[in-house]
Amino acid sequence: MPKHEARVIVFRSAAEMPPMPASVATTLYNKTGSWRYIRPVYRERTPPCNEACPAGEDIVAYLGLVADGRFAEAWEVLRRENPLPGVCGRVCPHPCETQCNRERLGGAIAIHYVERFLSDWAAEHGLVPSPQTPTRKERIAVVGSGPAGLSCAYHLARKGYPVTIFEAESLPGGLLRTGIPTYRLPREVLDREIAAIEALGVEIRTGMRLGGNLSWDDLAPYAAVFLALGQTLSRKLDIPGEEAQGVLHGLSFLRRLNLGERMELGRRVAVVGGGNTAMDAARAARRLGSEVTVLYRRSRAEMPAIAEEVQEAEEEGILFHFLTAPVEVLTQDGRVRGLRCIRMRLGEPDASGRRRPEPIPGSEFTLEVDTVIPALGQEADLSALPEDIRQERGAIVIAPTGATTRPGVYAGGDVATGFGTVTAAIGSGKRAAIAIDLALRGEVLPEFPTLSRNMRVAPRPVSPEVVAFEELNLAYLHPIPRPADRLRPVQERLGDFGEVNPGLDLETVVAEGQRCFSCGTCNRCDNCLIFCPDVSIRRRGDWTEAYPVYPYFEVDYDYCKGCGICASECPRRAITMEEELLWRK
Amino acid sequence: MEKVITGNYAVSYGAKLARAQVIAAYPITPQTSIIEKLASFCADGELDAVFIKVESEHSAMAACIGASAAGARAFTATSGQGLLLMHEMLHWAAGGRHPIVMGAVNRGIAPGWSVWTEQSDTLAQRDTGWIQYYCESNQEVLDTVIQAFKVAETVYLPAMVVLDAFVLSHTSEAVDIPDQELVDRYLPPFRPQWKLDVDDPHAFGALVTPGEWFELRYKIQQAMNEALEVARQADEEYGRIFGRRWGLVESYRMEEAELALVTSSTITSTAREVVDALRAEGFPIGLVKVRLFRPFPVPDIVRALAGVKKVAVLDRNLTFGQCGVFGEEIKAALYNTPLRPPLFDFVLGLGGRDVTPATIREVVRYTLEHDVPDEPIIWIGVKR
Repeated sequence: MPKHEARVIVFRSAAEMPPMPASVATTLYNKTGSWRYIRPVYRERTPPCNEACPAGEDIVAYLGLVADGRFAEAWEVLRRENPLPGVCGRVCPHPCETQCNRERLGGAIAIHYVERFLSDWAAEHGLVPSPQTPTRKERIAVVGSGPAGLSCAYHLARKGYPVTIFEAESLPGGLLRTGIPTYRLPREVLDREIAAIEALGVEIRTGMRLGGNLSWDDLAPYAAVFLALGQTLSRKLDIPGEEAQGVLHGLSFLRRLNLGERMELGRRVAVVGGGNTAMDAARAARRLGSEVTVLYRRSRAEMPAIAEEVQEAEEEGILFHFLTAPVEVLTQDGRVRGLRCIRMRLGEPDASGRRRPEPIPGSEFTLEVDTVIPALGQEADLSALPEDIRQERGAIVIAPTGATTRPGVYAGGDVATGFGTVTAAIGSGKRAAIAIDLALRGEVLPEFPTLSRNMRVAPRPVSPEVVAFEELNLAYLHPIPRPADRLRPVQERLGDFGEVNPGLDLETVVAEGQRCFSCGTCNRCDNCLIFCPDVSIRRRGDWTEAYPVYPYFEVDYDYCKGCGICASECPRRAITMEEELLWRK
Repeated sequence: MEKVITGNYAVSYGAKLARAQVIAAYPITPQTSIIEKLASFCADGELDAVFIKVESEHSAMAACIGASAAGARAFTATSGQGLLLMHEMLHWAAGGRHPIVMGAVNRGIAPGWSVWTEQSDTLAQRDTGWIQYYCESNQEVLDTVIQAFKVAETVYLPAMVVLDAFVLSHTSEAVDIPDQELVDRYLPPFRPQWKLDVDDPHAFGALVTPGEWFELRYKIQQAMNEALEVARQADEEYGRIFGRRWGLVESYRMEEAELALVTSSTITSTAREVVDALRAEGFPIGLVKVRLFRPFPVPDIVRALAGVKKVAVLDRNLTFGQCGVFGEEIKAALYNTPLRPPLFDFVLGLGGRDVTPATIREVVRYTLEHDVPDEPIIWIGVKR
């Protein structure tokens, strides 16, 4: 057979030629890439889950590692962005899953289960962060050890700053400890994630209340202060009888219960409100043996509580009165004996966009109860703030960096954003940590995304364009069902404050990783490599599992004709076709 | 072993006995049962082949070309519109010298829709470089599929085995299914000299400049010329092993014949009956059946028609603006010979219109009443 070296071949007769148009010497001189007017570029795009995560987790990246059973690496990727995955995996309303493209082909990936699995797996396997020796001399103070404060302290410590957290309560954790009942968030999970933050070198000083035994002068030596005071005041019912014995505000009831006080409620409890605090209070009261009725002035669809919480509360025998509002706490000898209520109907939409409830005249009725727990939402206690920190509508005013109007003072979490979820608080703490670090280095602050968007401490070179379901190549993606939730039976879980949801096992979690479409993110499926008709896609030689470099494949632009087959056969839109002239600019 | 099977199944059994390794096809009436049967052979493990479901006939042929280029014995089947959709790839198969074999069921071309038999679909592919056989019976279909692989792989050109819609495709006859062992002896595995091979890389099908193009076309024509002899030998060898041969051109009762009917496909069987009847009446008539259409067996045609006074060509096809294709080809074959009997070109049976003994007697009557044809096309049965 002919040798494949570059040479000029002249056929003197038809007999010398092959029967068909086949080369008999190398054709490499013919750089067919010059025919191209569009080129494939491995440019990863943002998956909807990553876009949706308020804490800025790189979800698609850890799901990919979980699919390969690489839990330790997945855990690293996860906790690089979020120090509280065990918490988030249990209490976050997981907007990532709401946006997941898998929803339409078998159900959203059970991301929160994967998240909590990784945290629990790491704990079981003794993976703890090694202490970080501070490399920066600037000391940072964080006031409040809720999710925002912990997140800010963690990220600053990871960047080398010595950080001290001041906590008013006797134990750290903020609302995670005082607000959320243990059946949703076991304390060992919270404790170990806080311990891991302390293990980095973060100092937590409890029993230090700003405006009490902690003054603004005490904070003066710190190069920056992050305020994460949370919302600690309960809104009032503003109806007669609210001061009676047996009226117990939701947050204070939960705080006392969660800090270990022995609580005794009446036989019949009415909880007023439709948010997560109302659900927590109702389910906790149920576990203390009471009959519980929840009153909510709008309908079920308007409830701000996480849908699963409402469903689980119903399973536990909690009664709901929708479109019902209290008008008077009935008392006898200064004690609650009942709750006078009125039926409501939904009128025109109000400022929040929800239809405004209006009382129906003459529809009053009485609930026989001996305890009333108002859970109408909470407000921040801003009494200890100096005047130069601007407030508006009960919150500290902050820039997208978290900076307040007082130089060097930042704020985040519910005291500033009022977003009301643990994950949003974690995101705001991270955002402030990034800003504080940049400011202390004297670097120009880049434009920060608006507060409602996430930020990442370790961003990858990913296009911000989110991959839509319609863009996926469904020839390669098949329906696979989401695993069912496996909750403890109702009778069993009402008997204690143990965790309701035991999570998913290892095999199921790995299967969830594998079920992930990996939207916009190359997972080395080899489709481009297989389909390239010009053999112009190669695996990169310097890629190894231990040292994954991006992109995994490379295009030989000397020969790629720009046909676009790689991009169209990519199931997940990790390849973009770009106009050659634009590329050259 | 004898089985009562349709013409379509005869195609499937032929491809199975030939041990096709890759089958890529898209269903179309009246071809569908060919590939259904092959798909079930593959599914049942009776045939060790890769069956590729494709989204179009164009892709079916493209897949066969890829498979053949990689050294596999490739088979497909189609009909009518599907064949037309393949047209570009038919050229590619021939120009790339890929000996793919296809079962082609004749079907009228839309619009209006027709699923009934007419040869215009396959005859429209006569210039693509494919070998073409037209078959008269289910047995001939099966035998021809096997022969076609032999011829195709010898000369490196693809081959079409053509059968009439419904008249053969969906009509059952007793067919002898040869022993696999004998077929294996007749048809050894496909071992192409040139193929895709990562250890011996060649670029196939790339740009060819005017300096070489002409020679490559010349070589295709050489291969076609060679195919005529190869087809003759393949048929003879088949006869020696299996006891059946079909000829490239068959002369039937042509002794002392003054009028020759020239036929192809199933019309032949009807014409045989008419010839027998007229011979019984003492009329000197015979029949010449054209089985191999590409390469066109000019010497065989000339020999078969030597000495006749008139030739009547029965064309179940039409090339608009000229006449029937067989008529045209036979005129061309005879032009440079001293014998040029008057040639009557009859167009009949289009779109599956029945061709009965009465239709053929009408053909004969016309040739008796005319010394030369009045018109380039003599229409039989058209309601003018």
